[in-house]
Amino acid sequence: MKFSNLRKNKNFKYLVALIIIFILLGIPSYIWTRRNVTTLAGRYNSPMSPVIMIPGSSASANRFDDLVKTVNRQYGEHHSLLKMTVHTNDKITYTGSIRPNDDRPFIVVGFENNNDGYANIKKQAAWFNLAFNKLKARYRFNSFNAFGHSNGGLIWTYFLENYFDDSTISINQMLTVGTPYNFEEKNTSNRTQMLHELVKNRDKIPEDLTYYSIAGTQLYTDDGIVPLGSVDAGKYIYEGHIKHYTLITLTGSKAQHSDMIDSNQFITIFHQYIVGNGVNNPGRSKTNKKVPKPRQ
Amino acid sequence: MKVQFKNKLEEKLVRGTLKIQKLLIYRIIQRTLLLIFPFALFGSFIKIIQTVILGKEGFLTDIFPTLNNDFIYRQIDNITNGLYDLSLGWVSVIAIFGAAKYTAKYYHRDDQLAGITGISSLLIVDYAYSKIQPVSFHTQILGMKGLLFAIILGMFIGWLFKKTSRPAPNLEDKATTSVIERAFISLKPIVFSLLIAIIFSTLINITYYSEAPGNFINSLATEYTSQNSWAQLLKTLVFAIYTLVMSFFGWSGTYSALGVEKMDILSTVNLNYALQKHTAWNAPNPFTSSTLYHAFATFGGTGAVLGLIIAILIVSHDKDFQTVARWAMIPSIFNISSGIMTGIPILFNVIFLIPFILAPIANMLMAALAIALHLMPPSVYPVPIGTPGPLIAFIATNGSWQALFFSVLAIIISTYIYIPFVKMAAKVKLLDNLGLEEGDH
Repeated sequence: MKFSNLRKNKNFKYLVALIIIFILLGIPSYIWTRRNVTTLAGRYNSPMSPVIMIPGSSASANRFDDLVKTVNRQYGEHHSLLKMTVHTNDKITYTGSIRPNDDRPFIVVGFENNNDGYANIKKQAAWFNLAFNKLKARYRFNSFNAFGHSNGGLIWTYFLENYFDDSTISINQMLTVGTPYNFEEKNTSNRTQMLHELVKNRDKIPEDLTYYSIAGTQLYTDDGIVPLGSVDAGKYIYEGHIKHYTLITLTGSKAQHSDMIDSNQFITIFHQYIVGNGVNNPGRSKTNKKVPKPRQ
Repeated sequence: MKVQFKNKLEEKLVRGTLKIQKLLIYRIIQRTLLLIFPFALFGSFIKIIQTVILGKEGFLTDIFPTLNNDFIYRQIDNITNGLYDLSLGWVSVIAIFGAAKYTAKYYHRDDQLAGITGISSLLIVDYAYSKIQPVSFHTQILGMKGLLFAIILGMFIGWLFKKTSRPAPNLEDKATTSVIERAFISLKPIVFSLLIAIIFSTLINITYYSEAPGNFINSLATEYTSQNSWAQLLKTLVFAIYTLVMSFFGWSGTYSALGVEKMDILSTVNLNYALQKHTAWNAPNPFTSSTLYHAFATFGGTGAVLGLIIAILIVSHDKDFQTVARWAMIPSIFNISSGIMTGIPILFNVIFLIPFILAPIANMLMAALAIALHLMPPSVYPVPIGTPGPLIAFIATNGSWQALFFSVLAIIISTYIYIPFVKMAAKVKLLDNLGLEEGDH
């Protein structure tokens, strides 16, 4: 291929144009990559944003199997499910797996010691932190949604206040169901030690969090186990500190503490705020600003 | 027509291709591809806007300041989504129309009705039984991914028309009577096709089966990792060949030309190493998909087709080839190759199968050698989606000039590999041009 021949080629101008385009695109990309690499700080552009779920006390990592199945069936989606159990000796066992192309897999973290009580919740939060670090290292996601059932919400809160570091990873939405921030105490003026400490450390919770708390009620006062006042006490931790705090009261036939996650109302809320987020909103940084009207 | 051959091998290849071109199936496939070309080309331009300008991690989104106006952003986003979904996003629907029509026409059956029956059948097979949206389809199968399936189904429908109906009377001969008559002649194959489609659709979850093999391979690609560099190299090559062969049939393989697949652990290890040591040199895993395949084998899209475009611009005298190459050049800069894949066409085209696999593999081996000899650092840093192929290695090594040099070398290698095949394709075309409308009076 002689160059002089090439110049006579009538496509010569296209080839020159090609080279010019590459150079024009090359210069800004050079500047960009220089800047990007210096500010990268370990963040990896992963499109994956999992839903991490913690079951309540006395429940295992299998607690949400039906919920995941229902969501997949009802919405025609194919989320994969990974279940982790942290044992008392800090060992972690896994069941299920995350499908490679899944942008929004479900990850359930359960504990061998799943007993109630503030001392256990602190331990469980420490165990959860182990599991969370494993997940972070393994899947390199940089955002996630949180879901907690009952004490799972307390573990989340304790974890966010004591272990979570939001400089490398961000939590978008959190949803909890029947989380007893004041244990069995109905009257919020009687604060348990746990509530007292959670309120005290609330500054460490990431401020851009959007949080939906669901309280179930049967006969106006409790969901059979957790009093409405105890769920409502979460406002002392979150309200005014995070971006949005919403309390939803759920009533009806499946408003009992353990049944709630089977209720249609719950599944709709769960899908809308925890699973569906990101699908309708372009841009990862935008948070869902829709706030549902709490049912009174 | 007399054609001069340079050597025995070339003659053998050209003769072999001509033999394959005689096959009815092959002719129909090639004709169908030419039918979808304009849509694929238009769609690939829209795809540039979607991924490179609007996309979350697009090349221009990252490099140039972002569009801050939410309303305008959404409007553009909606417009491009609509245009894309109904051009490149549903080429399989167009393909089945073409395949069924051409097959029926070959057998002198009612080709228009066969084509329309094909569209309905494909949409039935692809129907998503969703409780939320009343009419919805599994969109992946309507795009390039479903192309092979659509063409086979289309030919089956054309064949069904042959088996179950008699030849259609020529409309122009007796225009007064035949419209209703024509419809009734084809009633049987139409009903059969739709019934078969609905049975198929009910029994088989099409998305599941179309994704299952891919998912299996993907999990192999991401889960199985080896510490040994040579095993890594072998694995990357094997998955690259798999991807190339699949792309040749319109499917997508393990590695996508747009963006790095998720959760490649080795690449993550590399990135962490590089961020700690502030250099990409001596990264622990030199032969991953991102250091070899994405950085050196996807120039212009899967199959290093930028080399083909340049080869056509330099050596080809064929007008059609040149027009396609000029038009497909712009999307190819951003690694979107659907235009050239259907326009030349490369898909299912036996001549181009060899360079389509050979060129990327040669580039990867060249890059592997350069990395092994420490002539350039491996590509470890993240690269925005739709980054022009020759700039990927440059960006991913934080602007290493050596990497840029080897990228230019890779373009030259792939162009040289494509050149003899472009000449061969021209000869084949001279002897037997599939692009000509045959049987059309």
